[in-house]
Amino acid sequence: MQTALQKAIELILSGDRELCNILLVTARMSISSSLLALLIGVPVGIWLGSCRFSGRGILVVVNRTLMGMPPVVCGLIFYMLFSGVGPFRRFHLLFTVNIMIMAQVFLIAPIVIGNVETYVSGIASSVRDTAKGLGLGTARMLMLLANESMYQILSAYLLAFARATAEVGAVSMVGGAIAWKTNVMTTAIMQYTNRGNFSLGIALGLILMTVSLAVNVVITLLQRRFIQ
Amino acid sequence: MKKRSMMSMLLALAMTMSLLGSVTVMAEEETEAVEASTETAEAAELNTVILKEADDSMINTYTLIAVNPDAPFTDADGNEVSDVAINTEGAAALIQFLLSAEGKELEANYGQEEFGDSLFYLLDGAPSYEGEIAPATDETATIRLSTTTSVNDSGLLGAILPVFEEEYGYTVEVQSAGTGKAIAAAQYGNADLILVHAKSSEEEFVNDGYALKLDGFDSERLSFLYNYFVLCGPADDPAGVAEAETVLDAFAAIAEGKYTFISRGDESGTHTKELSLWPADLGITVEAESFADYTDWYVSANAGMGACLVMAEEMGAYILTDKATFLTFVANGGVME
Repeated sequence: MQTALQKAIELILSGDRELCNILLVTARMSISSSLLALLIGVPVGIWLGSCRFSGRGILVVVNRTLMGMPPVVCGLIFYMLFSGVGPFRRFHLLFTVNIMIMAQVFLIAPIVIGNVETYVSGIASSVRDTAKGLGLGTARMLMLLANESMYQILSAYLLAFARATAEVGAVSMVGGAIAWKTNVMTTAIMQYTNRGNFSLGIALGLILMTVSLAVNVVITLLQRRFIQ
Repeated sequence: MKKRSMMSMLLALAMTMSLLGSVTVMAEEETEAVEASTETAEAAELNTVILKEADDSMINTYTLIAVNPDAPFTDADGNEVSDVAINTEGAAALIQFLLSAEGKELEANYGQEEFGDSLFYLLDGAPSYEGEIAPATDETATIRLSTTTSVNDSGLLGAILPVFEEEYGYTVEVQSAGTGKAIAAAQYGNADLILVHAKSSEEEFVNDGYALKLDGFDSERLSFLYNYFVLCGPADDPAGVAEAETVLDAFAAIAEGKYTFISRGDESGTHTKELSLWPADLGITVEAESFADYTDWYVSANAGMGACLVMAEEMGAYILTDKATFLTFVANGGVME
């Protein structure tokens, strides 16, 4: 019997082809979905946090509700939409990495929006005053806001990335956990657990945690540069 | 300022590492515990053993069915959908290969090397295919196979599909779930063929018009492999099922004495089989309501076969499983590889 740690190290050293494939798919999926969520979430978050218009309150509440959407429900919705009998069947996206990314963006973007919006609405009035004093236009004011929120945006990205790597409900549903194609770390852990192979599950979990530790160290170092 | 931030970074790193470390220690302790239990079990194997097998009512037949592209598919609202994309050529090729002499040899011999015993047997009078198998084209290259966990977890598909893929250029995408879910995936137009083991659900699938009769075969349902369901439980067998005359008596004894029983509870083929073995007056069905009064001994786990076997081993419970999965479970010392 081996310990899970030994198993994890052995798996990495052996360069197991299936593990490499799982890591690659995981990286492709979570990096794309977190970056897309950031691209959508930051502008919308700054807009929601700084502009005053009627209906803004409703949008904020809707977004906060979406932040709490259970991944498995999101997965189910995308599964039904893109099923062989679903309305979007012509795109042939079910059981591909692309639909996993789409489902994750749908899950993660609200979290980025919510985080950015909360922070921006706190500093918006003072930044607006400064911008007025300097005679800056709306566009430049928004740029200034984004610059001021950089620390928060990086935090939001970390949150998005963490959610993307850790999430299993939606991706197992729409991806189908197909070997060599759509199997990611979390779905592989689920499979091993279902087969009763708990220690290999923990080994994969350790690898996943180590990867996210590395990502967190890099982004946190980057973040430090913004406060200094 | 810089020094301090570096220090705190290091601190954070150290904390995370120690957290990881403690998880590893926990895992180590866990494996040690398992080790200890396997050591004692070395003489007597695992505590969970086969108590009842090779009974005629315990035959577990696996069936291939191609999905009919013109099936009465309906969307979530019940509206008819006509243009569902099904790769019938691919499904036919895979079925022809599995029923060819080459495929059958692979199937019948699977397990000899690793376990010293075949895990699946060829059914007498199973349909055969002797003709040509069409190689993959761009449109037919991807085959979606929806199957049950027992076929996938026992390693059978992993041993056969690469041979087929290499020879004919197809890629087979395997989704594995309980038979109920595997059939549902096909009804939603997400599979080109299914490989399942629950006769009643299969017949319903055929009767509803979802199955396609391939050229050169007599029936939609192509049953070709079998193995046995086995009733397993703790070696000391408190319910005395090993002495029971039939499997039905054994199940009655478990229910009578209220000995813990782990049910898959996921509408899989194994679950369907189990439901047919309980005394009728208990009225146990797939509905949660039906076993609400038996929760002190009837455990509806809603999990895969391997996870359920681990649970049975932990709880000293009785469980129904297929022999292939059980042998893999035992060969790996209580885990499924």
